[in-house]
Amino acid sequence: MANLNIDARAQNTYDAIVIGSGISGGWAAKELTGKGLRTLVLERGRDVRHVTDYPTTMMQPWEFDHRGQLTKEVKDANPIISKCYAFYEGTQQFFVKDAEHPYIQEKPFDWIRGYQVGGKSLMWARQTQRWSDFDFDGPARDGFSVDWPIRYADLAPWYSYVERFAGITGNKDGLDTLPDGEFLPPHEWNCVEKHFQQQVASRYKDRHVIMGRAAHITKPQPVHLQQGRAQCQHRTICERGCPFGGYFSSNSSTIPWAAKTGKMTLRPDSVVHSIIYDEQKGRATGVRIVDANTKQMQEYYARIIFLNAAALNSNLVLLNSTSHRFPNGLGNDSGVLGKYVAFHNYRAGISAQYDGNLDSTTDGRRPNSPYIPRFRNVYKQETDFLRGYAAGFSAGRTSRANQNGIGADLKQNLLNPELGGWYVGSHMMGETIPKETNYVALDSAQKDPFGIPQLKISIAYDDNDDKMVKDYQEQMTEMFTAAGFTNIRVRDDHRNPGLDIHEMGGARMGKDPKTSVLNKWNQLHTVKNVFVTDGSCMTSTSTQNPSLTYMAMTARSADYAVKAMKKGLV
Amino acid sequence: MAVAAGGLISLPAWATNWTSETVQLTHPFLTSGQDDLLADIAETIIPTTDTPGAKALNVHQFIQKIVTDCYDKSAQETFRNGLNAIEEQAQKAFGKPFREGDTAQRTALLTQFSQSTEPAQKEFYSMVKGLTVRGYMNSEYVMTNLTHYQMIPGHYYGCVPVPAKAVSQTK
Ligand SMILES: Cc1cc2nc3c(=O)[nH]c(=O)nc-3n(C[C@H](O)[C@H](O)[C@H](O)COP(=O)(O)OP(=O)(O)OC[C@H]3O[C@@H](n4cnc5c(N)ncnc54)[C@H](O)[C@@H]3O)c2cc1C
Ligand code: SF4
Repeated sequence: MANLNIDARAQNTYDAIVIGSGISGGWAAKELTGKGLRTLVLERGRDVRHVTDYPTTMMQPWEFDHRGQLTKEVKDANPIISKCYAFYEGTQQFFVKDAEHPYIQEKPFDWIRGYQVGGKSLMWARQTQRWSDFDFDGPARDGFSVDWPIRYADLAPWYSYVERFAGITGNKDGLDTLPDGEFLPPHEWNCVEKHFQQQVASRYKDRHVIMGRAAHITKPQPVHLQQGRAQCQHRTICERGCPFGGYFSSNSSTIPWAAKTGKMTLRPDSVVHSIIYDEQKGRATGVRIVDANTKQMQEYYARIIFLNAAALNSNLVLLNSTSHRFPNGLGNDSGVLGKYVAFHNYRAGISAQYDGNLDSTTDGRRPNSPYIPRFRNVYKQETDFLRGYAAGFSAGRTSRANQNGIGADLKQNLLNPELGGWYVGSHMMGETIPKETNYVALDSAQKDPFGIPQLKISIAYDDNDDKMVKDYQEQMTEMFTAAGFTNIRVRDDHRNPGLDIHEMGGARMGKDPKTSVLNKWNQLHTVKNVFVTDGSCMTSTSTQNPSLTYMAMTARSADYAVKAMKKGLV
Repeated sequence: MAVAAGGLISLPAWATNWTSETVQLTHPFLTSGQDDLLADIAETIIPTTDTPGAKALNVHQFIQKIVTDCYDKSAQETFRNGLNAIEEQAQKAFGKPFREGDTAQRTALLTQFSQSTEPAQKEFYSMVKGLTVRGYMNSEYVMTNLTHYQMIPGHYYGCVPVPAKAVSQTK
């Protein structure tokens, strides 16, 4: 009997365990297996294999029963996820349905999730900007959070490392606010975007309109071909999964790469319940999972553990990992675990018309658009709110048919559409301030279908965000007006936090164990063999999209972890 | 293309809830008579000319699917009542069912609905017309033969001259 137990334990023991297989977990899997570690990847959702498990990827528009529209049944059953722009008839299979995985909204919060191998990397919008020193210095400069324990220089080589592998398109713009990366050729501008860029450049020294940086292969390099990925074909139906591997996802890139090493064991349908802490050894020894199919508990063991369940879920796992030594959650001596959660403010937008350039138009589709890096409060504090915002921008031309009339005339008109004028639009991406009052916690009574406490989310905007919305609207109106755009309309849709899908923090990094959970290597200050490298580690949120930074952070941390392991430090 | 795609992709078990084969109308909310009427209305809006019209492209089935699956009860009611009202008016106006009217009669009747002072009639007409246009423009026939949709353009050119055709067509 004793022997049997030992055998079972040996069988369930790996060098490393990675929790989650999304954008950050995929990188952890790739790096750890690449460095020779026998790695178990635990993923709560089902397996999704590249190409074969993208059931809608080759469907033509007319093959969808509702031509993409959601049915009333789906919408009624899913009021939260139905708000996500990327959730439609062709992508439903990749999003978590409201009823399946309940959580408690102490304040309204639209939690958008993808529970499957690949996580949200299947449906993301693929925007990938580096963060700059302004982002890592920021909290220390204006005092709104704790100081980051790292700076841009710590991450720069790792940005390069992940960019080369993932395949990032962009232009070298030479901006302080947005460091250049290892870019594949940039996407093309259209004439009205170019016009706006020039107008802005001629009026403002510190405002720039640049081509977006995105995880698309515009020109495959050998490393992409080795991954079995090909040049992006400009289909712009990426969220269904791309059979060409034209964009970066864990499914097309990191996970199969890790599998090729022969060192990875991928276990889908494994809901991690908690991390096991051994008081005698003073370290984490493994994890407990609930098998999603059998609902049986099971334990797996390893020397190091990478937690990559996505920001809020990683908080949940840590909070739920209690022991005599850590009654309030693993590594939570400071009591800050679950607190200082922040996100991005996407509330405001602006749209307008442009009556110039009517002799030109666009041809084809582009899975990307221009971007306006943060220009507020960069070199000095110049407004009455903290931090700033970046913005998306794009222009396009629609062809519209005259739909008046009935019969043969109508038919004739429909088949001979006329080009409309140019329309332009932008939306904001504001940095929100991490506050103690924005937190997640475990509910003491309500459990999820796996017997795990439900997450209670209490996150809201504050007046800093309102001021930022107003400033964005004013500044963009000024810039649009200067560019000769007309019929300018601004909006504030007052969407709930969460719909930005950039939730971060809760297990923030910091220098001081009293005010942070992770050190500069993304290790729990007090449990050195547990590494957390997804959005939960973020000390502040910057205005840039976050995922490229999660990738770089993960690769850096995995490199450190393996070295530390070899030195016997973890 | 559809066949090729079907061959390429093997659907895993979890996917079966939402393939085209299984998302069938479970409770069609129109009777077959009303469905025929709907087909005739759609055909009047987009008739067969030298190319197929709405009826031949099964646009009415698309409409019924959308109204059944995507619309709420009150919109469905408006829709059903609208169909009944069309029949009633046809009897009044030309003494026979809508389908037996000639093109001019049908067109006149629908035009009357489009300008009706009764909100329900107007709303019904704009629903049917909107869905007819959508179903027609998104049909396989139109997208492959007339508007030449391509899933893979392979490119994006930001500044190309407006094609001569569209310019010459400004009326
Ligand atoms: C529509 C959309 C657009 C977006 N656009 C952008 C963009 O343009 N740029 C950008 O940077 N970001 C974007 N994002 C956000 C981006 O997808 C996330 O930041 C990124 O995926 C986070 O990576 P992650 O590894 O932390 O989490 P995920 O990719 O979500 O992966 C987490 C994985 O962990 C699994 N998991 C969770 N809990 C457990 C558990 N208890 N046990 C086992 N497994 C678990 C999940 O099932 C999931 O597979 C977008 C997201 C969406 C949905
Ligand atoms: S735009 Fe590129 S990445 Fe997106 S689906 Fe198309 S080919 Fe794939």
